[in-house]
Amino acid sequence: MSDTLTVDNPEMAREAAAEFRSVHASIRAEVARMIVGQDATVDGVLAALFAAGHVLLEGVPGLGKTLLVSSIGEAIDLTFSRIQFTPDMMPADIRGTNVLTEDEAGGTKLEFQAGPLVANLVLADEINRATPRTQAALLESMQEKQISVGNRTIKLEEPFCVMATQNPVEQEGTYPLPEAQLDRFLFKLVVGYPAENDYRTILRRTTSNSEVQLNAVSDAATILRMRQVVRAVPVPEHVETEAIQLVMATQPGNKYTPSMINEVVSLGASPRGVQSLILAGKVRALLEGRFAVAGEDLRAVAPDVLRHRILVNFQGMSDGITADDVIQEVLK
Amino acid sequence: MNQQKTALLTGDIEAVAQNTSRQIKTLDQRSFIRANISTALKLLIAAPLLAVTTQLLRWLFGFAAGAWLPWEAWIFLTCVIPAVWLCGEAAMRQFQVTRHRALRAADEQIGSSDRIVTADEFLRRTSRDGFMQAAVEDAVDWAAGGRDTVLDRGPAEFSVSRSSLWPVPVAITALVLAGLLTQLERATVADSPAGHTVTPVSDSTSVEQTPTPKKQLLTTNDQQPPPKQIDSSPDQHSQRAVNRQGAANAAIPDNAEESQGKVNEGETRESRQSANPSSAKGSPSASGQPSKPGDQTKTTPKKKQQVTPKNDRKKKPRKQNDKPSGATAGQGSSKGSDNNAAPSDWASTSQAATPDDKDIEDEDSVDDEEEEQESRGGVQPNMRDRRTPVNRDLQIGFGTDRPNPDANGRGGPGGQKKSRGVASLVLGVPIPDRVNGQPNKGRIRITQQRITPEAEQSDQGPAQNRSPRDGIVGPIHHPDFSPWLQDLVKRYFLDRRARFPLRTSATQSAPATNSVNTPQTINATESDAPQS
Repeated sequence: MSDTLTVDNPEMAREAAAEFRSVHASIRAEVARMIVGQDATVDGVLAALFAAGHVLLEGVPGLGKTLLVSSIGEAIDLTFSRIQFTPDMMPADIRGTNVLTEDEAGGTKLEFQAGPLVANLVLADEINRATPRTQAALLESMQEKQISVGNRTIKLEEPFCVMATQNPVEQEGTYPLPEAQLDRFLFKLVVGYPAENDYRTILRRTTSNSEVQLNAVSDAATILRMRQVVRAVPVPEHVETEAIQLVMATQPGNKYTPSMINEVVSLGASPRGVQSLILAGKVRALLEGRFAVAGEDLRAVAPDVLRHRILVNFQGMSDGITADDVIQEVLK
Repeated sequence: MNQQKTALLTGDIEAVAQNTSRQIKTLDQRSFIRANISTALKLLIAAPLLAVTTQLLRWLFGFAAGAWLPWEAWIFLTCVIPAVWLCGEAAMRQFQVTRHRALRAADEQIGSSDRIVTADEFLRRTSRDGFMQAAVEDAVDWAAGGRDTVLDRGPAEFSVSRSSLWPVPVAITALVLAGLLTQLERATVADSPAGHTVTPVSDSTSVEQTPTPKKQLLTTNDQQPPPKQIDSSPDQHSQRAVNRQGAANAAIPDNAEESQGKVNEGETRESRQSANPSSAKGSPSASGQPSKPGDQTKTTPKKKQQVTPKNDRKKKPRKQNDKPSGATAGQGSSKGSDNNAAPSDWASTSQAATPDDKDIEDEDSVDDEEEEQESRGGVQPNMRDRRTPVNRDLQIGFGTDRPNPDANGRGGPGGQKKSRGVASLVLGVPIPDRVNGQPNKGRIRITQQRITPEAEQSDQGPAQNRSPRDGIVGPIHHPDFSPWLQDLVKRYFLDRRARFPLRTSATQSAPATNSVNTPQTINATESDAPQS
C-alpha cells in the first residue's frame, strides 16, 4: 500500500487530476476495443474501480457483462478470477479451504488453498443463483477486504473489486441478494441493449476471424494511486448537505422525505449510501475537469448509487413504481 | 494564486452575489404576488361590502335616498384595494436572499457547476489544500463572467384557478346591490286601525295624513329614528282586537266592519257579546233550543252550498225527526248545568249506524270548526276535543250482525287510537328471535367479462433505451407448476376451447345473455345469507 497522497499546491492537484483522466481514458479506450457501446456501463464499472467500490451489473444474457469485466481485468493487468455461481456452490468453493497435503518429511499438514475470491478483480457471474450461505461468504470480503477460513484470516490484495452480474429474467431457482449484501455494492448498473450501429460493429468483430487482444494499459499501483487522488477531491459543505438530505429523503418518515416515498418505500438508503454518493461524485468531478464535487455530480450518480438501496413496498410495486422512480422523485 | 488575484476573485464573487440577490428579490416578489393573487381577489369584495353596509345603515336610519360616495368612487376602491394590498405586501415583506443562494443561482444560470459557490466557500476557509486552491483558481473566469448575470424570470403568465375567482361576481353583485340601495327610499307603516297602509318617509303628504305626532316629527327631522313598524299580521291583529274588546270597538268606525273580512265580522260580534254578556248567557239557559237561531241561519247558507243535494235530501228528515243532539246543543244550547255537549257528541258518533250518519257528523264537525272561531270569547269554551272519539270496540263486527265499517278489530278506526292503545303494543306478527344461518355458500353471482386479445401496435424506439425491465424481456414470473400440472391445465383449456369456441366479432357485439357460453367467465361468490 502506497503512502497517502498529499496535494499541497494547485499544480499538483492539476497534475493528479490530469493523470486520473488520462488513466481513465486509456483504460476506457482499451476496453472499448472489446466492448462495443455500453459507454455508461463501462464508465460506471471504472468509476467503481477508482472509488474502491464493488459493482452489480444487471442485465439479460448476451449483453457482454462478463466480457466487460474480463476485459477490464485484462486492460489493467490485475489478477482476474471468475466464479460462476450455482445453487450447489458452497462458501469454501469461493473462499478456499484447508486441504490435507503431504509435507517433505512424509507427514501430513493442512494447507490453505485459496479460492477464486482471492484476486484483484472477481467476477461473480449470476450471483443470485448461489444460496444465501454462499452469498454471505462474499460479505466479509466485500466490506473488510479479507476472508476468514478456519482460524486464519487472509487479507485480500488491493485493489480488490467484486463485479457481480445477475440476470433479471431467470428468477426461478434464484436467491435474491439480501439487503446487507446489496448495500455493499457501490453501483448497481442496469445493462441495456446496444444501439443499432453497435450491433453492426459487434457482428463484424465477433463473426470474423479477427481476434482482439487487449493490452494492459495500467496496473494495480496506478489504480491505487488514482484511488487516492479520488479521495483527495474536496467536498464543499453545501454539497455534503445536499448528499445527506438526498439520502435522508429516501428514508420513509424522514422530514426530507416526500409524501410519495412515505407511501411506497419500505427501506431507504443507508449511511453507506452517502459515502458511495460522495465517492462516486468525486470520480465524476475529476472526469468533468473540476477540483471539487458539485451538486450536479451527486444528481448524476444518484440513480446508480441508490437504486439497489431502496426497497419499494408492495403498494409501490402494485402501482408499478420502481426504485428509479423514487430516486427521480427525490431529485425533484 | 497571489493576494491580488484572490482579492479580485473575492470582489467578483461579491458583485455576483449582490447582482443576483437583487434579481432574486425581484423574482421572489413576483412569486409572492403570483401566489397571493387569490388572496388579493378576496379583497375585491371589501369595498362593495362597505358600500352595501353604509347604504343599509343609511336606509335603516332613515337617511334620504342617495349614496354616501359616488358610484365611481366605489368602483375605484373595489379595484384599487386588492392591488394596493398586493403591492404593499410584496414591497414590505422582507425577502431574505442568502449569499449561498445567490451564488448558486448565478452558477446555475451560467452553467459553472457550482464553481463560484465552491470557490466562495473555500476562500473563507483558513487552510486550503492543493485541490481547494485549484478549485478557487478554477472559478476566477466564471466569477468574472458572472458579474452581469441576468437570471431567467420564468414564465410571466399568472394562473388563477377558477375557484378563486368567486370574489369577482360577489363584488359586482354587491356593487349592484349597493346601487339599488341608493335608489331605495326608507319605507314605514302608518299606525292606522287597518294596519295595512304603508307611507314612505319622504312623502310629506302621507305624513301629514297620519294622525300621530310622532310621524310628524319624522317629517321635520330626518335624523330621528323612525317609529317601529306595525306588524299587520292577521293573527296578531285579531288577538289585539279580542284583548281590546269593547273599549277597542268604540274606536273602530262603523264602516270598518264592512270593509274587512270575516275575521273582522267575528270580531265585532264577539265584541258585542263581550260587551253585552247577558244576552249570550241567557239564551242557553232558557231552553234547549239554539240560542241564536238568527246567527245559525246567517252562516248556514254558505255551508249548505258545499253539501251535495243528496246529502241535503237525506239530512232533512233526520233534522226533523231527531231532537237537538249534543252537536246542536254544543252550538249554544244548554239544558242546565249538566248539559255537556261533548258526551252527547260522542254518543252520536259512536252510535252512527249508516254512512249517512257519518256524513252528517262530518258536516257537523265542519260546522264546529267554524263555530270555534265564532264562539271564542263567548259563552261556549273553545273545545278542541269535540272531535269524534276513537272507537274502543275491539270487535270487527258491530253488535249482532251489522258490520261496523270503521272497526277493524284493532281498537278503533283512527290512527290516533292505534298509536296510544294497548293493542298497538301487541305484536300481531310473530317474529322469530333467532334466524338460522345457511350452511351453504350463498347466492352465486356470475359476472361476464369479454376480453378479445388484440395485438399492440407500438414503436419499439431506440434499442438502447429499452432496458430489460421495460421491454418484453423484463422479469418473467414463471408459475411454479410442475409439468404434470401444466399439462393438466393445458388440456383443460384446450378442451374448454373446443367445446366453447371463441365467437366472432359479430356475435361478440351482441349482448351476452348466457354466461355459460362466454369465453371467459369469472365466478364470484357472494354470500348474502348469514353464516351460522
